[in-house]
Amino acid sequence: MIPFAKHRESSYVGLAVPPLVAALRDAGLAKSDIDAVYCGHSYGGMMTAQRICKEIGLGGIPTVNIDNACSGGASALHQAWEAIALGQIDVAVVIGVEKLTQFGGGTLPLSPEDREVKQGMVMPAVYAMRATRYLYETEATVEDLALVSVKARKHGALNPYAMMRTETTVEEVLASRAVADPLTLMMCCPTGDGAAVVVVMSERAKARLELEGIRVAASVLHSGQVAEGFRDMTKPEITYESAREAYAMAGIEAKDLDMIELHDAFSIAELVYYEALGLAEKGRAVDLLRDGETTFGGRVVVNPSGGLLAKGHPVGASGVAQVVEAFWQLTGQAGARQVDDAKWALTHVTGGGTAGLDHGACTVHIFEAV
Amino acid sequence: MTSPSARVSDSVEMVVPDADLRDGSMIRDFSHGTRLVGTRCIDCGGSALGERSVCSTCVSRNVQVIPLATTGKLYSFTVLHVGNGGESRPLGYVDLDDGVRVLSTLRAGSHALRPEVRVELASDGDEWWFAVMPAAVENER
Repeated sequence: MIPFAKHRESSYVGLAVPPLVAALRDAGLAKSDIDAVYCGHSYGGMMTAQRICKEIGLGGIPTVNIDNACSGGASALHQAWEAIALGQIDVAVVIGVEKLTQFGGGTLPLSPEDREVKQGMVMPAVYAMRATRYLYETEATVEDLALVSVKARKHGALNPYAMMRTETTVEEVLASRAVADPLTLMMCCPTGDGAAVVVVMSERAKARLELEGIRVAASVLHSGQVAEGFRDMTKPEITYESAREAYAMAGIEAKDLDMIELHDAFSIAELVYYEALGLAEKGRAVDLLRDGETTFGGRVVVNPSGGLLAKGHPVGASGVAQVVEAFWQLTGQAGARQVDDAKWALTHVTGGGTAGLDHGACTVHIFEAV
Repeated sequence: MTSPSARVSDSVEMVVPDADLRDGSMIRDFSHGTRLVGTRCIDCGGSALGERSVCSTCVSRNVQVIPLATTGKLYSFTVLHVGNGGESRPLGYVDLDDGVRVLSTLRAGSHALRPEVRVELASDGDEWWFAVMPAAVENER
């Protein structure tokens, strides 16, 4: 992957071609080894994957563009995994790429056809209402919301790929500009540009090519289920269900995980997802956070990369970047932010603000060091 | 267009994006005049339109910017009557003498456009186009 940043001088092609070339080089793959390409992005326009792949003369194979908002990159990985699991192909390239600087700042453009978007819904408002309700129902405070950002920035300071690489304090987070009460600017992920690429292959191809890597132990993709009436915004069913299915597929439990990259688009999300991923009982996520159980040296390191809050969140790229982080961690290549003896990793991204749904999409992957 | 890379752990070399939007102009002043910008691969000799960071034939990053040929022949064309503020505009594919194909606005002057006519690059500031070569028209007669 490339460092996430405001790469104003790079197009979608300029962002994605270097990590694509590097991924093929690192895997020792020739173009002829690749059976299919899956590319996650939301704002790249028509044929983004093909525009990228033609630059290295990679063509004549199934190549698919996937928009699933913030889950696009991980959805692309899921499609690759599925095609391999079904025995349809042996080797796939998965690209996640997004260029948000094209919008010149502000909140993510959502579908103007959505009835809540017509009423002024934006992503910070979704999470802010989740936060308001969570603070109302539990012992959590705005200081806890700020503490999530402090932890993220502490991790991000160790990651040369992160947009935000300085540490911060609870006071500084609370004093930053109000975005959507109770969320301040520093409780919101920064928008930027990025690209990440992974190669996925069958056991057979891995043996033939004599490569090392990590094992995909679970790959789950869910859409949201509509609720026309009451919905508990502190219990996003889409993540609960996806995680439950992923643990069953991998044959492990939450307590077995060494690291997690979860979808902390806004700081409240991290607390809600501790519970949804089974790390804590409802309302008890703050105990883990306050006790340092989710940072280095704790029970499970959550977002060692700095997460979306520190690393940045180029929508379609994030899901693949999480997997790159898991790969580096499980292969002992994460440098200053290495999680000791990491064996099991989980990655999680949700996607989209859509009226009536928690989220439009949710992807959960579990990886095992081999 | 590529930037230096840095090592971030013992085994991971940082990959940086290509600043491919930095200079979006397709023409540039080379020592022998204004030319379309192309890229040639030093490893395999493949050439392409525009400044590239990687060869689309052999995936080598060992590439260099070159000036492309100024003459070629028209492969096909159309006169476009949509967009461009309602003003019609001839547009065609030119196969340059060095083998690279380029989409270009065309200026036929008093000559009729048709496939296979010889055309030549012309420019005025940032604007560039291919014009039908009068000599070629004479030869065709």
